Amino acid sequence: MSTPLAEIRACLEGAIPAVLATCGADGVPNVAYISQVFHVDDRHVALSFQFFNKTRQNILSNPRATALLLDPRTAAFWRLHIRYLRTESEGPVFESMKAQLAGIASHSGMEGVFRLLGSDIYEVEKLEQVPGDPLPAPPRPAGRLAALRSLSERLARCCALDEALNAVMAVLSDALDMRHAMVLMLDQPAQRLYTVASTGYAISGVGSEIRVGQGVIGVAARERTPVRISHMTNAALYSQAMRSSFERESPDIAPVTEIPYPGLAEPHGQLAVPILSADRLLGVVFVESPQDLRFSYEDEDALVVAAGHLGAAIDLLQSGAESAEGEAAAPAQEDSAPSRGASLQLRHYPANDSVFLDGEYLIKGVAGAILWKLARDHVQQGRTEFSNRELRLDPSLGLPDISDNLEARLLLLQRRLQEHGPHLRIEKTGRGRFRLAVGRPLRLDPA
Amino acid sequence: MVATVRLPDDLLAMIARGVSCIVGSRDEALRPSIMRAVGSQVAADGAGITVYLSRSQSRQLLQDIASTGDVAVVFSEPASHRTVQLKARTAAIRPATEADRPALDRYLASMEHEIGRVGYPVSMARAMLAYRLDDLVALSFTPEMAFDQTPGPRAGSALGASK
Repeated sequence: MSTPLAEIRACLEGAIPAVLATCGADGVPNVAYISQVFHVDDRHVALSFQFFNKTRQNILSNPRATALLLDPRTAAFWRLHIRYLRTESEGPVFESMKAQLAGIASHSGMEGVFRLLGSDIYEVEKLEQVPGDPLPAPPRPAGRLAALRSLSERLARCCALDEALNAVMAVLSDALDMRHAMVLMLDQPAQRLYTVASTGYAISGVGSEIRVGQGVIGVAARERTPVRISHMTNAALYSQAMRSSFERESPDIAPVTEIPYPGLAEPHGQLAVPILSADRLLGVVFVESPQDLRFSYEDEDALVVAAGHLGAAIDLLQSGAESAEGEAAAPAQEDSAPSRGASLQLRHYPANDSVFLDGEYLIKGVAGAILWKLARDHVQQGRTEFSNRELRLDPSLGLPDISDNLEARLLLLQRRLQEHGPHLRIEKTGRGRFRLAVGRPLRLDPA
Repeated sequence: MVATVRLPDDLLAMIARGVSCIVGSRDEALRPSIMRAVGSQVAADGAGITVYLSRSQSRQLLQDIASTGDVAVVFSEPASHRTVQLKARTAAIRPATEADRPALDRYLASMEHEIGRVGYPVSMARAMLAYRLDDLVALSFTPEMAFDQTPGPRAGSALGASK
């Protein structure tokens, strides 16, 4: 192919529908609009199979088809000569298309009519540029590469997970102009994603959870593929703004333990990219916008690169912290300001390891169990200095396995404590070590 | 004489007003060809339809129509997605002339309005439908079959009674 398919990705956004010519075995040609031509790779596209129609009959008997595409920016025409291979009704391509189609349907007022039955995979035999009199191409947005360079440089200097997350949030928000962003980490055993960092929202939402498979973020995690909706006036099925409140868990002895999800109430564009490292899913980077058509293929490219760097950094920082865990602990510092004043009540519900601070829900799960252990050790033994290693070795915490990101759990706990108030904090004291800073005496109440 | 269809008045009116128009055919090996028309008009009696194609943009398509006669033409209103497909087994091709200019101008004006309704500027319609008259051919046919292709449950159903 002389022109790489990637060059015409702007034509594949679904902003202007493509038109497909097919031909039956009887020789009768057929022309039909097609909602979605999806870029699979440089040799393949996937077309949305939404209806059992003439196009469907034709390609099953005669796999040759020709698509006419229009560049929505320049009005340049392209013809794609393609050959039908197979239909996929699950997996990353299908899920990405399904989410994107929800956006297209919403954009074109076709909700309820457009439903993806399958992704028809075609091999691209030839990409033909049609002569014409197109408008000049808009200038390519410059800064993306520079923004990624700056991210790469900043990540290379990071020594801890919170620094790495801060670097990503800053570059997304400032250099890539993605003003509403969050990073969620995977809780593998629970099959949930928990927010560890966010920017551009009224509330941080740190600790809020999303089920794997739920909404744009959950589908990106489950399918390990980017999911981008570039126009969604009402793609409610996919909108991450759909709160998880409908997911009232089975009656729990603990009171409501839900941290509000921070996302936009009426997003018009969303993009979720999985964070992978060594072929493991670590989490998801998510951005959204109140504007239509905000996220292009180029934004997706940039976010995939950012997520890749972040994934590598998370893994490196984790292994760095682990190798440091064996080192001798620094001598415990004298508490310069011993805890004083009214006691701070901690209540722990073993059913889900939720912990309440002065009656206010703080955290649950592994992070909750960690806090309860730290508090117990502090009250019973007067300890303030701890290491990641002892947490990892403590069977009472039920840490899933070595691949679990303990750093992320500790960061979540640290940030939740920060948001709660100044009296109980976690402070890093070195690689793999931290201090429980106790400003008021702790009173432990098992539930 | 082949059977022809009489289109419902509202669809005929939509086509006559000037909406998006895409033409397809196929070669002897059943390879499909396709291009967007830069103009269309309906004959005064409502039976014959003429669409305009640029030779430089439609070489394969015009060759296929000339050799097989098979033609499929879709008309679609961008804002509503109301769509109809017409098919015929014979079509006449002739060079466009100055006499076709008024029809082409009317079509462009209509399309500027139509794609303006879905948010595109006039410059987009003009670039998409740009042509040189000496590069244009007029393709005329009488629809033998018509199908409703508006997305939805009735998509694909045959339209109009044979006459």
